[in-house]
Amino acid sequence: MARTRSRILGAAVDALTSLKLTIVCLAALMVLVLACTLAQVNMGTVGAVKAYIRSFVVWYDLPGSEYSIPVFPGGATVGLVLGANLVAAQARRLELSWKKAGLWIIHAGLILLFVGEFMTGLFQVDTRLTIEEGQTVNYVESPREYELAVVDVTDPTHDDVYGVPETLLTGDEVAVTGTPLVLKVKRYVRNAALSMRQPGDPPSPVTSGIGGGVTVRELAPVVSDDDVNRAAAIVEPVAGGRSYGSWLVSAGLGARQQFTHEGRTYVLAMRPKRTYLPYSLTLKKFSHDRYPGTDIPKNFSSLVTLENKAKGERREVLIYMNQPLRYDGKAFYQASFGKGDTLSILQVVENPGWLLPYISCVLVTLGLIVHFAIALRRGFRRGPEQQGRDAMEAV
Amino acid sequence: MPINRSWFDQRLRLGGLAVCAVVLATGCRREQVTHFRVEKGVEAVAASGPPGGSMGAGPPASPGMQGDVPAPPRPNAPLAWTLPKGWSQEVAGGMRYATLKPPASVPGRVDVSVVVLPGPAGGELANVNRWRGQIGLPPLGDGELAAARKMVRSPAGELALYDFTSEGEKKSRMVAALAEVDGSTWFLKLAGDAEPVGTVRPDFLKLLESIRRGTN
Repeated sequence: MARTRSRILGAAVDALTSLKLTIVCLAALMVLVLACTLAQVNMGTVGAVKAYIRSFVVWYDLPGSEYSIPVFPGGATVGLVLGANLVAAQARRLELSWKKAGLWIIHAGLILLFVGEFMTGLFQVDTRLTIEEGQTVNYVESPREYELAVVDVTDPTHDDVYGVPETLLTGDEVAVTGTPLVLKVKRYVRNAALSMRQPGDPPSPVTSGIGGGVTVRELAPVVSDDDVNRAAAIVEPVAGGRSYGSWLVSAGLGARQQFTHEGRTYVLAMRPKRTYLPYSLTLKKFSHDRYPGTDIPKNFSSLVTLENKAKGERREVLIYMNQPLRYDGKAFYQASFGKGDTLSILQVVENPGWLLPYISCVLVTLGLIVHFAIALRRGFRRGPEQQGRDAMEAV
Repeated sequence: MPINRSWFDQRLRLGGLAVCAVVLATGCRREQVTHFRVEKGVEAVAASGPPGGSMGAGPPASPGMQGDVPAPPRPNAPLAWTLPKGWSQEVAGGMRYATLKPPASVPGRVDVSVVVLPGPAGGELANVNRWRGQIGLPPLGDGELAAARKMVRSPAGELALYDFTSEGEKKSRMVAALAEVDGSTWFLKLAGDAEPVGTVRPDFLKLLESIRRGTN
């Protein structure tokens, strides 16, 4: 029994440390990269990378059905197996000696590269900060996800902002934690077009707010990187056994919509998912430099004032192409602009593992140098006669 | 130095457990309602369309609170009113034609707004029920509307006045008037905590009685 168990374990260890597994994983990665590249035509870059590279399984949607079947391991699975293979092979084959120090460092660098990509895939958050000249902003917004913001505006100095993620609106009801409110979701449309209600339109289920005069038309969700969905929902806030009517919420509605429960006034708004920061940025000037005599862009830059009251910090920072502001775990890159060069859009990247690829490259380089130096030293020590004998034996 | 096989097996098991923990931890992430307490005055940029240029980093800015459905056009025939003593008027924004401020000495939460929409704006019953909905009252039927309505006379014509108070421990009150003038419907609304609204109500009624054609 014990022998059988040991044999099975041995076979598993052999498989895990096998070079063939490395080759299979590398081949699978090549297939995934090719498939991901082709899929970008229909899914956009973000969608394709999510479906092929940053997933554990690649799914195929059966045409005309709501079912999907797994067809291939995703990049995350292949990466995990490859990482495990690398670690296991290194632990098993490489002897722990100074002679192999270079190889150990190179392998450590490669493993760190895998870990870095995993951390990026799992923990990186991409958001956006849109700011006009003279404006101060203390939040970042998701470029693709919406939230239903329920804002308690009763306090004269502060607002309590409750963000209901779009994904929770696919259910029947959502309890807004921290308030007595429960939102009954009557309809949720991931991508909607709004228009003023026409005489022939069907009756509206909306009973409160300005949405009663608006018709909601469902559109196919967009996949292109250049488009965004415009979510809309019809929700019925209920609190203390009382209903506050059915409201249409959408980023396409301009007017403020609010109701009052037990003396507290709540504003409802569908908007890009927002994360508030413990500091603020004020855009002093956005510059769009061109080469003299042409319209060819030379440089884009945003001069901002960073203010963190809690730390007593206030300083000016110039953000320009490839020169982001790195602060509090976030990197603010110059990404876009608008409104006659008075509005700047910064891409905000939060990635706890952003340093790992750099460390990995340094380790691999260092490992190669160490390994080369050790080999060189060994070569010098042997002397020309020994080297000649080695060469003869090799022939 | 050769590696001891049992040492290796032990590490392999630990590694497998760590990998499973990471996979499970990330796979079980479920989005939740977030909460932030922020200072007043933080609002989205009024990005009414895609920005003018892009440097190839992500989609265009989606519209903020400004939205696709535009604010209503200004009325052709404006109305004017006389502000009661101690009241002030602020510059309008968004859907509002004007925001009126009672004296600061009035304690509690109170808001006075003037909104004007083209045409009948959905009709009287729909608007009355919309107001009732905002303070948690059930809708009225056609037959109940007349009983809830009081008329206020002004130089610009008669206004239909409604006065509703919510249920619950902390009561809200809404005193709202509407009138159709030259093809536009005007809404004047006093809303807030029941007590300060009751204090301000007499002045609000005087304001309604002073409404006339023209500009302030």
